[in-house]
Amino acid sequence: MTTSALTAHPAPTVRARDLRMTFGRTRALDGVSFDLVPGVTGLLGPNGAGKTTLLRILATVSAPDAGSLEVLGLDPRRGGGRLALRGRLGYMPQEPGFHARFTAFEFVDYVAILKELHQRHARHQEVRRVLELAGLGAVRRKQIKALSGGMRRRVALAQALLGDPDLLVLDEPTAGLDPEQRLRFRELVSRLGEGRTVLLSTHQTEDVTALCHQVLVLHHGRLHFVGAPLELAGLAEGHVWQSQERHPGALAAWRTGTGQHRNIGDPPPGAELIEPTLEDGYLLLLGGDPVEEAAA
Amino acid sequence: MADVVGPGTGAAGAWHADGELLAVYAAGRLDVAGTWSVEAHVTSCAGCRELAGALVEPERLRRGRAELIATVDMPHTGVAERLLVRLGVPDHSARLLAATPALRGSWLLAVATTLAFAVLAARLGSGPDASLAFLTVAPLLPLAGIAVAYGPGIDPTYEIGLAAPMRSFKLLLLRAAAVVGAAAVLAAAASLALPGLGPGAAGWLLPALALTACSLALATLVEPLRATGISAAAWVAAVLVTVQQPGPSSVLFAVRGQAAFAILGLLAAVVVLLRRGRFESDRAFDTTPRFAVRRLR
Repeated sequence: MTTSALTAHPAPTVRARDLRMTFGRTRALDGVSFDLVPGVTGLLGPNGAGKTTLLRILATVSAPDAGSLEVLGLDPRRGGGRLALRGRLGYMPQEPGFHARFTAFEFVDYVAILKELHQRHARHQEVRRVLELAGLGAVRRKQIKALSGGMRRRVALAQALLGDPDLLVLDEPTAGLDPEQRLRFRELVSRLGEGRTVLLSTHQTEDVTALCHQVLVLHHGRLHFVGAPLELAGLAEGHVWQSQERHPGALAAWRTGTGQHRNIGDPPPGAELIEPTLEDGYLLLLGGDPVEEAAA
Repeated sequence: MADVVGPGTGAAGAWHADGELLAVYAAGRLDVAGTWSVEAHVTSCAGCRELAGALVEPERLRRGRAELIATVDMPHTGVAERLLVRLGVPDHSARLLAATPALRGSWLLAVATTLAFAVLAARLGSGPDASLAFLTVAPLLPLAGIAVAYGPGIDPTYEIGLAAPMRSFKLLLLRAAAVVGAAAVLAAAASLALPGLGPGAAGWLLPALALTACSLALATLVEPLRATGISAAAWVAAVLVTVQQPGPSSVLFAVRGQAAFAILGLLAAVVVLLRRGRFESDRAFDTTPRFAVRRLR
């Protein structure tokens, strides 16, 4: 599945082909194929779409039932490749657990040991570096249980940055962050995306618009879209209009701050069409017929 | 350390790093707080910086500051961790062990309390009955420790750990060895307090090791918690089935039984080694037969 956004970049760092995963009767992933290149890619999809399953597979935490995967030129199915890959990736789980008694510094230091940074002086320097990068320098000696939810997410992000990984897998990193924290997070991730491959899942379409050069939309375990954010927004071209009243035939409609209604779907004749956003494209994609490929 | 002094020693009136204080600093005899104060002060006070520049090499100031930051950030180490380091365990391994729930002071206290009750029961009870109870309970304690040493739902950093290059198997073995070691030391101490048991007091050791190995082998098929539960249930059932009157005694603690546990332990260890890849992801990549794969979360 290639798009114009992908052909501009020569070598994919991640090549996933026909990934499949079932849990009991649930098909979490049902033939997912995509390429990733350096830069920030957003993974959108409703709850239960299979986002976390896909990210865990990329982070080598889980193995697919079927399909092939090549990450940074390595095969995670082979023990050697998997270990080498783990040395080059940073993973922030959706619900990272913490040893509550640890301070932020101690926790990241602990993960640094798991990442086999054994030399204490160098390890502590690296821990300080990532804590500063995540904006946690001032609270590094606070116990994690005393930190706010947003701070904890930054601690989880900090540990993912240890060792300057080539691939960052971030599962809903902006969940629970306030607007200012989200802004700071975007600044950080956009910097990290320079020369690195970053895949982040999110429910925030604004994050994708602001950060990502590529977006994947996963729904019921299948990829419904792979392409640039503008292309996703472009799917809703001619399908978003405003009106005084909610249009009964619209897939989604809501009253905006101006008092006008924003409608998404098939517009009636003579409708006042307006510029679509990425969110419009996403809603249309999930609410309407699946679109298999990005519009060229 | 008698020759270490604080910042107030050489400074008078309004705080400035005078020549005397800087001389003490340059000689490396200032305490941590004093050193920190001097270094923080000279970065903001031009006069003291000039004075310090004459007495102390800039590189030394920079290095001293870096060392201080490292000291201040130094992770807090508990009693168990300090003990492990003293015993020659590398500090990074000691840190991994210190995060093991089954090595926390509260856990070890619970193990010690259980053993104390078992011994107390043996001393107050009718000899063989209570001794058999002790021998049955003692192997269960390291098993319980193993159950809460590693795995999903137990280790908060389980998932992050899986994605890290350190082999999860190595972490598991490290923790298992420490947990079994700690429980064994406590149980050995407790068995010394048992009345009239003689060499038979060590009868719990081989079953404990064999059951631990069996739990790890089973953990390649099912969740670690369930694996230890199965082993523990099997152990108790085996004791109940083999208990003989009068005595009471069990063949499990006789030479034949002990030999069987030695063989069982070795076999289980081989299974663990052969299937160790199973610990490297929450679903094996290629090492577990499909029929045996279980979803862990």
